[in-house]
Amino acid sequence: MSIFNDLKEAVTRNIGRVMDAGAQYSDVRWYEDDSSEMLMLLDGNLEGNDTTVESGLGVRVLYGGAWGFAATSQIVNVDTCFDRALANAVSASKLVKVKLDMGTMDGHTGSYTSPFKIDPIDVSLSEKVDFLKGVDDSLTEDWILRRMLRVQLQRMIIHFWSSEGTYTQKKLINTFAHMTVMALDSDRQMQRRSKSLFCETGGTRGWEMLTKPALWSGHAERVKKELKEVLVAPELEYGKRSVILLPGQGHLQVHETIGHPLELDRILGYELSYAGGSFVNLDSFGKLKYGSDKLSVSAYGSIVNSPGTFGFDAEGTPERDYLLIDKGILVDCLTSRAMISEANQRAGRKVFTESGGASRSTAFYRAPIDRMTNVNILPGDDGTLKDIIATTEDGIIVDNPTSWSIGSNREHFHFGCEIAWEVKNGEITRVLRNPSYQGHTVEFYNNLSAVGDESSWVVEQVENCGKGEPNQVMELGHGLPVIKFDNVISGERK
Amino acid sequence: MMNEATKTMITETRDLARKNGIKASIHFHHENSHLMRIGNNSVSLNTSEELTRIDIEVIDGMKKGTHTHLGEISSVDELFKMVQMVSVKAGKSAAMDYKPVLTVIEGNLEIESQYDAGLESLNPSVKEQVYSAIFRDVGEDYNYSGSWSSGSTETFSVTTANDNSVWHKLTDQQFMCVLKHPEKMWELASWQTGWKADDVKADFTIDEFKNILPVYETTEGFEVEPGKYKVVLGSQAISDLIGMTVWTGCAGRTWEMKMGWTADNKIGDDILHPSVTVFDDPTNENIFSEPLSDSGMLTKTLPMIDKGKFAGLLYDRNTASKYDKEATANAGCLAMQPGDGDPDFLKAVKDQGRVLYIPAIHYMNMPNMSKGIFTGSSRFSAVLIEDGKIVSPIFSSRITDQFANIFGNVLSISSETISVNTSNTYGRRAPGAVSVPTWILVDGVKITDCAESF
Repeated sequence: MSIFNDLKEAVTRNIGRVMDAGAQYSDVRWYEDDSSEMLMLLDGNLEGNDTTVESGLGVRVLYGGAWGFAATSQIVNVDTCFDRALANAVSASKLVKVKLDMGTMDGHTGSYTSPFKIDPIDVSLSEKVDFLKGVDDSLTEDWILRRMLRVQLQRMIIHFWSSEGTYTQKKLINTFAHMTVMALDSDRQMQRRSKSLFCETGGTRGWEMLTKPALWSGHAERVKKELKEVLVAPELEYGKRSVILLPGQGHLQVHETIGHPLELDRILGYELSYAGGSFVNLDSFGKLKYGSDKLSVSAYGSIVNSPGTFGFDAEGTPERDYLLIDKGILVDCLTSRAMISEANQRAGRKVFTESGGASRSTAFYRAPIDRMTNVNILPGDDGTLKDIIATTEDGIIVDNPTSWSIGSNREHFHFGCEIAWEVKNGEITRVLRNPSYQGHTVEFYNNLSAVGDESSWVVEQVENCGKGEPNQVMELGHGLPVIKFDNVISGERK
Repeated sequence: MMNEATKTMITETRDLARKNGIKASIHFHHENSHLMRIGNNSVSLNTSEELTRIDIEVIDGMKKGTHTHLGEISSVDELFKMVQMVSVKAGKSAAMDYKPVLTVIEGNLEIESQYDAGLESLNPSVKEQVYSAIFRDVGEDYNYSGSWSSGSTETFSVTTANDNSVWHKLTDQQFMCVLKHPEKMWELASWQTGWKADDVKADFTIDEFKNILPVYETTEGFEVEPGKYKVVLGSQAISDLIGMTVWTGCAGRTWEMKMGWTADNKIGDDILHPSVTVFDDPTNENIFSEPLSDSGMLTKTLPMIDKGKFAGLLYDRNTASKYDKEATANAGCLAMQPGDGDPDFLKAVKDQGRVLYIPAIHYMNMPNMSKGIFTGSSRFSAVLIEDGKIVSPIFSSRITDQFANIFGNVLSISSETISVNTSNTYGRRAPGAVSVPTWILVDGVKITDCAESF
């Protein structure tokens, strides 16, 4: 018999065993293959040439309204892993105030494969290094002090079984890349400019994505030119003005101040001891004016080629396209199944009707939690970037984060950026360095005054969103256009 | 638990690699982890993970390659094939402009001085009972959350450079409990750490909460106007700040690359207040031990900041090779030295007028590493103090300042130190802690924003 058939038999038998022992629900994720490769070229040196292969089993058991989880890298120990997960659930059930419930879902089968032409893990190291060396050559200049290229490639083959009879199988391919150049400015402060690989509409996720110049390497000349401008630019002065976020910056703004506060486990208080809570509560849905009428935000968004697109979540729920914010009003959040029943129970009304398909886990040895999929600002009707600049009296355009710091309930934030372009009376006047801006989330989004159309809409990739205990890193995407906010405090107070 | 057969398999593979002319290091890592998470006064996750990893690094002249395998390996043949695969990978890599260095293990060691079998096998019901006791004694009306990670880490390292090996086994635990008022929304927190089963005690957290609760229950939140304040920083905040200060100021790679806030300084320069001294100190009992540096040297105490002077840079083996410096025997065990202030910070600030107490900084980041500018916001048990008396809790307030200002304007430092657990569980279990004073008083700290809520 094959490993798959042996494992399927053992998993099915053990799911039956824990259900017979009184469990409400159980599921299993088998990572048949979790391969990743990281290459890092620093000043032309291949400092990072790392591969990782992981394989193993993660078992969840819901018993008495409480979760138990266990994982093992030894797939011969399936019985022991189930025993431990059940024992953990039984132990946890002794201290439970609100009993968790998965609701009901009919068993189903399904499969998903990321769109790709060339599996990035299978490309030879020589080809990868040659490609990166070529990009590095295009970044090399006498005046540039540091050049860094970083590529992260992933391939995961994941099988899922549940006590409801669901079986899903997925093959996920991810390709991430970043280029950064640095140099000392006139005050001997290190400045940088960077570009990350982004997703084209309807594109793919394999090695071919990385080698398409328009998505990454073709930006080298622009990145160098803009760094050169930053080096001699004056510093942004403290003050209130309009701030236009290009997608390179806007995606992190959305990530930190819309995505995270709308994760239901955070809203319900399950992340307080680590990532923090949320200023959103169960009464906010359908009422809170999160932003101006121009703000509409979707989850998943039917984006075919994002790292936040994975077919079925870690509970076997199919991904679902729905609105989180509709014309400024908060209407939904990022959910897994168990969180919904608890939220509705606590609210005493049906706040949420179905899972958002947002239960995700970073590896077989981590229990799934509520995560972002793709959180996207829908295109608006304020035209192109040029059109938005033309309607701006006093503002800055900013791109790419250098730092981000957000309040524990995501109620306020501070971002530093790589570059700013000053806008006066509808025109770009000069480049500014060390830009930063800060704000209070709801006030900020209610000052959203312009949303670009499809022409500026792109999907930015995030490869390292951290959350949960034990800690988990997750990959996802954000689709968004250029966005403008008014009356924003920017620059640093003296 | 690693058995003798596994050790033999690894050393035999090392010998085989050496015989085949492969320069390799093989590192075995086994963790037995348990974590209980609390949310809404309930156990929200009770998780066990038993994981084995093998890390292999091969140096091939001016090239290198590394590989990590998570899963069981049961034979010399299987492990050697993996070493050969990494060797091929290193061979196909690109030559660097410096020679990468293979770890040379200095001595044969077997260390388990911070290992407690009782903690390794701690029954999850013990954790449930401690949390239950806290809820019961402090009050069931509050909303509690938290996490309690515990477990063992066992490593075994060899390289083809010599026949030495290091076996190290330790246990560690990190406890946290957050108390949140369900309507007023303020949060208090208590942390504990250690490597023995009985290092975490319910009474410690109960006392911490009961001491501060009356102020929170009887006063409204205070909105701090942006400006400069005298601030008492608590141990969690000091830990984060001193960590970022020295790793962006005293790490050899950062300094050589001119990335950090000390880029234009040289050893011996006055860079911080004379009361500030920071060592990398593997002998400090507050910190989880680390027997070897990355270059394989037996770790020892190294000064980084000595009485405010720039005292030393830490070099890993490859940075040292690239920049033609000597690698240092650093352990990554930060220890900031205590001062002579009263351990009770309220007594220490009784003549200081208005002071903010900020025990922890949430989500700290650095907008400008060259200038050592950081930003982050207050969280957990932060209060306004006037003439040594706690007046009211403060709303979430943002500090945006420079390391040189914070550790350059120190007014006094507690005479007591405390261990702050800095472990994270991204990837593998990797216990870490720093030793810091229980508080420092700093003048002229810049508060740049304040929310209207906690």
